[in-house]
Amino acid sequence: MIARCLLVALGVAFPSAALAQGAPMVGGRGPDWIAIAMFALTVAITLLITYRSAGSTKSKAGFYTAGHAITPLQNGLATAGDFLSAAAFLGISALVYANGFDGFLYALGFLTGWPIVLFLMSERMRNLGSYTFADAAAFRLDQTSVRLVAATGSLVVVLFYLIAQLIGAGKVIQLLFGIDYVLAVVGVGVLMILYVIVGGMQATTWVQISKAVLLLCGGTLLALAALWHFDFSLARLLEAASRIHPKGAAILVPGGLFAEPVSAISLGLALVFGTAGLPHILMRFFTVSDAAAARKSVFYATMCVAYFCWVIPVLGFAAAAILMPEPSYFNVTASGQFNKIADLIGGPNMASIHLAHAMGGPVLLGFISAVAFATILAVVAGLTLAGASAVSHDIYGQVLTGGKASEHRELLVSRIAAMAIGVIAVLLAYAFENQNVAFMAGLALSVAASCNFPVLAMAMFWRGTTTRGAVAGGLAGLVASVVLVVLSKTVWVAVLGFPSAVFPYDNPALFSMPLAFLFVWLFSVTDRSARATREHEAFTAQLIQSEIGTALAGDQVSLAAAGS
Amino acid sequence: MLQAPSGRTREILADATFRELVSGRARLRWILSILTLVMFFGFIALVSVAKAALGTSIAGSALPLGFALALAMVAVLVVFTGIYVQRSNTRFDELARAVKRELGR
Repeated sequence: MIARCLLVALGVAFPSAALAQGAPMVGGRGPDWIAIAMFALTVAITLLITYRSAGSTKSKAGFYTAGHAITPLQNGLATAGDFLSAAAFLGISALVYANGFDGFLYALGFLTGWPIVLFLMSERMRNLGSYTFADAAAFRLDQTSVRLVAATGSLVVVLFYLIAQLIGAGKVIQLLFGIDYVLAVVGVGVLMILYVIVGGMQATTWVQISKAVLLLCGGTLLALAALWHFDFSLARLLEAASRIHPKGAAILVPGGLFAEPVSAISLGLALVFGTAGLPHILMRFFTVSDAAAARKSVFYATMCVAYFCWVIPVLGFAAAAILMPEPSYFNVTASGQFNKIADLIGGPNMASIHLAHAMGGPVLLGFISAVAFATILAVVAGLTLAGASAVSHDIYGQVLTGGKASEHRELLVSRIAAMAIGVIAVLLAYAFENQNVAFMAGLALSVAASCNFPVLAMAMFWRGTTTRGAVAGGLAGLVASVVLVVLSKTVWVAVLGFPSAVFPYDNPALFSMPLAFLFVWLFSVTDRSARATREHEAFTAQLIQSEIGTALAGDQVSLAAAGS
Repeated sequence: MLQAPSGRTREILADATFRELVSGRARLRWILSILTLVMFFGFIALVSVAKAALGTSIAGSALPLGFALALAMVAVLVVFTGIYVQRSNTRFDELARAVKRELGR
């Protein structure tokens, strides 16, 4: 159960308790007009942003990257907005609410990916690519095969992540606003397709910035209100929580989630290197003018994520301390009994939402609900755009037409792809409504860590990488992740109904990621073709461009002249 | 881009400023990456071997040791990114500018 909770929280926010109850409206308080008004306002603002961005999407650079004209601070906020999903906000606070300290460790895993993104990825990516991370991966390698592997990795990550997010979104919106699940999923699907098709990266960025600001303000407000109850003493808050929590003082120490070292390290690898291989995050570095700006945006994003790492445990512990003594927040049986974790109305994922009601009544509840909704919208929009650009820029633009397609046609393909990805994700989210989808987000992160990250890192940092190695390594990581997840408990037992799992761990990253690196190395060093020699030689030019490429905005023109 | 004249490439590779830029940035990059990973995975290892020790309170406070360590780790990770960005903004951007100035002539 704990392990499953963990995997669920990874992507969406829905333990089976919430699925089973499906009770409309948090607390059954009837239609909450304040919440619905704020929800409508959120939608209206994002649509206004989209409408105003429409003019900026006529060129490739405009559509994919907002013309490389986003400032570092804006991009930092947008990147944080792209990354902090409902899983982070509702899911991790629920994990803290239910398990205490372990939820905190989990948040720490999410944060640790960011310094790695900064040190290894952001600057070189920006210097070597223009629109997608495949640009950088295929810089000196074969444009057809390497790009195809990178685009496939992107699409797998995007689709699974998107479906997991959409199912979570449907459930959250159903609970928050009393809207039917199908309507909620279709509504979110229509909105995300609209943002991307009409407003491209410009609209997506501003939706993400608005969401990040809302989330930071909302989280801070809620945490301050809760801490105020305990005289702003973290120690007193923890003490109150451990006194009322059914697990007692055990919530203050590491528990079962990270107890078994192999599972813990495997999960840690997926969290850390998965973050460094998420296509919608990597794509954000192209929206700024140069590598220095990309680096600064990761710094701002890291600060936002780190700040959240401090705020989220406060919310979880405060929810435990404040909600658990109040039966009105629980589904109480006739005899007056209730389970302080599973019986929370709407499930543990609603802990922060209930906390908002307890702290500030319907007004704060409405505001925090709107924040949760905005959080969902920003993430699914970023994912849709990343998926669409993998199809149009990588597969159509480079692989199928060899870069000869007109800008107009490529953008048309991009919009069709965004629509197709959106429709497919909505249909699958509808089909999987009552399925156990805990594996999806975990799979997305392991593929990102085992296919996207090894190919990109080896292509950028190791001279010896050849096309054959990159393709073999990427495919090995992809196939191993998928196969091991299917053989693990989350699919083999929970979905397919076999009595016991073939692969004993929940997350495959500890095995699939080293396998990918091994294959890249092995198939590169044994590659004696003339092409391999050319690719080794081209590393020098790549190194020079990755170091001084577009390091300075003002010098881009002279550098381009120097390099050609 | 790939077909940069090889004479030009050799010239850049031999350039002392360029070499200083590449090796300096690589050193900082790998040191900080390794420290980050050792810290995170070390903490996970600590959790699985010394669970009880992490539950003990720090003298004079109700905050358990594991909690304090995790909070501190968040701060240290931000400081790491800060160091990298600060060093890049001042030193490496300057070196990159110098390389381009030299080559521009």
